[in-house]
Amino acid sequence: MRTEYDAAVIGAGLLGCFAARELVRYGLHTVVLEEREDICTGISRANSAIVYTGCDTKPGTIKTEMCVRANRGFDDLCRELGVRFSRCGSLMICFGSGGLEVLKKKYDQGLKNGVQGIRMLGPEETYEMEPHLASGIMASLYAEGTGTVLPWELCCAAAENAAANGAEFRFDSRVTGVTRSAGEYTIRTTSGDIRTRSVIDCAGLFADEIQEMLFEPTVRLFPKRGDYYVLDTKAQGYISHVIFHEPEDKKKSDEFDKGGDKGLTLVPTVEGNILVGPSNMPADDKRSRATERDGFELLDRRISEVVPDLPMRHMIRSFSSLRPNPFNVELSGGGYVRSGKSISNFTIMEPGGDPSFLSFIGIKTPGMTCAQQLGRYAAEKLAAYFGAEEDPRFDPVRSAPVRMADLPLSERDAIIKTRPDYGRIVCRCRGVSEGEIIDAIKSVPGAVTADGIKRRTGAGGGRCQGGFCTQKTIEILARELGCRPEDITKDGCGSYILTGGETDA
Amino acid sequence: MRDAYDLIVIGGGPAGITGALTAVECGVEDVLIIERGDRLGGILNQCTHSGFGMAYFGEEMTGTEFAGRLRERIKGSKVEAMTGSMVLGISEDRTVIVSNESGCARLHARAVILATGCRERPLSSLQVTGTRPSGVFEAGAAQKMLNLGGYDIGDDIVVLGSGDVGLVVARCLAQRGRRVIGVFEIRDICGGSDKNRTECLDFYGIPLYFRHTVTRIHGDGRISGVTMKDLDSGEERFIPCKTLITSLGLVPERELVEPLEYENGSLPEWLFTCGDARTVHDTVDAVAFEAEETGAAAAEFLREALTNERFYSFQ
Repeated sequence: MRTEYDAAVIGAGLLGCFAARELVRYGLHTVVLEEREDICTGISRANSAIVYTGCDTKPGTIKTEMCVRANRGFDDLCRELGVRFSRCGSLMICFGSGGLEVLKKKYDQGLKNGVQGIRMLGPEETYEMEPHLASGIMASLYAEGTGTVLPWELCCAAAENAAANGAEFRFDSRVTGVTRSAGEYTIRTTSGDIRTRSVIDCAGLFADEIQEMLFEPTVRLFPKRGDYYVLDTKAQGYISHVIFHEPEDKKKSDEFDKGGDKGLTLVPTVEGNILVGPSNMPADDKRSRATERDGFELLDRRISEVVPDLPMRHMIRSFSSLRPNPFNVELSGGGYVRSGKSISNFTIMEPGGDPSFLSFIGIKTPGMTCAQQLGRYAAEKLAAYFGAEEDPRFDPVRSAPVRMADLPLSERDAIIKTRPDYGRIVCRCRGVSEGEIIDAIKSVPGAVTADGIKRRTGAGGGRCQGGFCTQKTIEILARELGCRPEDITKDGCGSYILTGGETDA
Repeated sequence: MRDAYDLIVIGGGPAGITGALTAVECGVEDVLIIERGDRLGGILNQCTHSGFGMAYFGEEMTGTEFAGRLRERIKGSKVEAMTGSMVLGISEDRTVIVSNESGCARLHARAVILATGCRERPLSSLQVTGTRPSGVFEAGAAQKMLNLGGYDIGDDIVVLGSGDVGLVVARCLAQRGRRVIGVFEIRDICGGSDKNRTECLDFYGIPLYFRHTVTRIHGDGRISGVTMKDLDSGEERFIPCKTLITSLGLVPERELVEPLEYENGSLPEWLFTCGDARTVHDTVDAVAFEAEETGAAAAEFLREALTNERFYSFQ
């Protein structure tokens, strides 16, 4: 394994994987350093799965420009990367005049931003499109360009395409220090040191800490928690568009430290589930993934206002995410304290005064939408800095993995004739075959945990939540990876499922 | 393998087997059982404990012995069995779509019995707060790992819910020298039978707490404990544990027939359900008796259907 690179990307989330993919486009020797055992385990793992249009942000910002451009190109991107994308459209609804003002502002903003396919709708048209919404709707803003994609599917595709074009992925490699000398960086990690000509800091919630290994603090991240519910595919069809309802009294919801209110979002996912959330609660621990009662209570209250007959009996899971909110910090009384309001634009920094250290600190909504654009931004900056040209050997295409449940019968039959393991169904709820699980393990970078299999194939993510297939999945992982079933974890970090001494000590 | 049968039975557990055998006894010519596991027996294969068969076979035996008896009967019958095969769907034209190593095929049937059993309600379907660590198992999944996989699933065990499967798994773990901290039940009655309460808990000194429930899961990586709420006092306390077994109730697995259900909830006359897929039963013996009735009803339906078919083809 080489230890000298043109570019070292820190963090294998959506941003890091896309940065790597775009860097190898320029023929740059790229390594992705990830502290966990797999890609997509941090903030990319849990978000609202929405591809935004660009109505929500101010004209002229880099965030808006990227979002509008990304949305227009999302079909092409997903086709290129073999990712399922549903351009389902969205309705932002309001019940009162305060909300109507917000909608009108977004509509005007959308027009200014060049967003196409947006319309203000009256209640009749709104209910025609979404009959289950609560009564009393005054108006809605329809955006036909809004879509949904699974964040981990997108992330896997970017990572696989990056790897196929030469990017290296190093897992279980937490960065413990960064130094610079003679125009070169040395990165110390828990799996050894590497040297690199540039650093792209895509460490999500920890991007500020990475930057501070080398530079004075200027921006820091303060997380907020979002709790979500996932409904079974049995609720499919209850809604067919992304539904947004924002708080209609803006003043109340703007205070960062209070249990804020982001309203409610419902998303009909590409897998046929309905995602409900997020709450917007204060959080202090960047590593916490716990859901909290106050978040659930807020969601329940919002559901009763927006979609009172939502079939909550079909809930199969809840989870929480942390949103990385960037704030400027200043020295005060021997420590750094937050100043001003949360920075709303993307915070892209060159703390050393040149692009050889590029930080993405606090890439929140619409971070997933813009992940490829942000990666492209980083790659273009560095390519210009290094004088690198696009590599004609770069192949942007990643073919989609086989998904048996999506195939017509005749194709299923034909493919089983060539690979019998595609005929053995392991996950009963989502119809995932053993062949698909083997593919997920053999892909590069491949799955090494039960959750890694779930993110790549969907197995274990259905209504029984893995009760039926987890044992089989563990056995397949162990067989393919050449280890004992007892060595397989749920998602790294000591999450042993079967015990063979490790957790009994 | 043919592609048309008089009767296709989906599920090769106690319900499917007894239903198929009875149908044959009642004169149905060709019957196929489709089983997703590698051998017939269903949930019985992981029930190594005793307490089965008293009503149905007139003697007490283990679940695995019960399954063995049923497999013997299948061997001596003309029922065909297709194992390692998952049914993906049933269509209105009485076609059963099945996937296995040799392909994906449409099989035609004059009648279909759904005998797919039930599944456990996962903890994640409740609004429990906290983290999502490993070491949380549904009781049936745990039983399969212990008895069929031969795996160890951990020590210092809290059991949430007092259904029969939970009680039996608590005993199974106690027998292996594991520390079962207690069984916690949200209601004020035991979900499982009195017999199991005595034999699985009392005998091993495992305490059963009523009106308690878990409100929070703790631990990064492996579970490190639960917050247990006493519903009477309202008090919450932390109980350290390394394993959580849930026995929160069983749900009939009838997703395959749901698309065919009429608005009033009834099914087409050619489509039957039996066993736990129809309604969750207390004992396997009760499942077997009910499945016999279903097998006979399917045979009766086929007799009439075949008579009509012959009549019309004659005309």
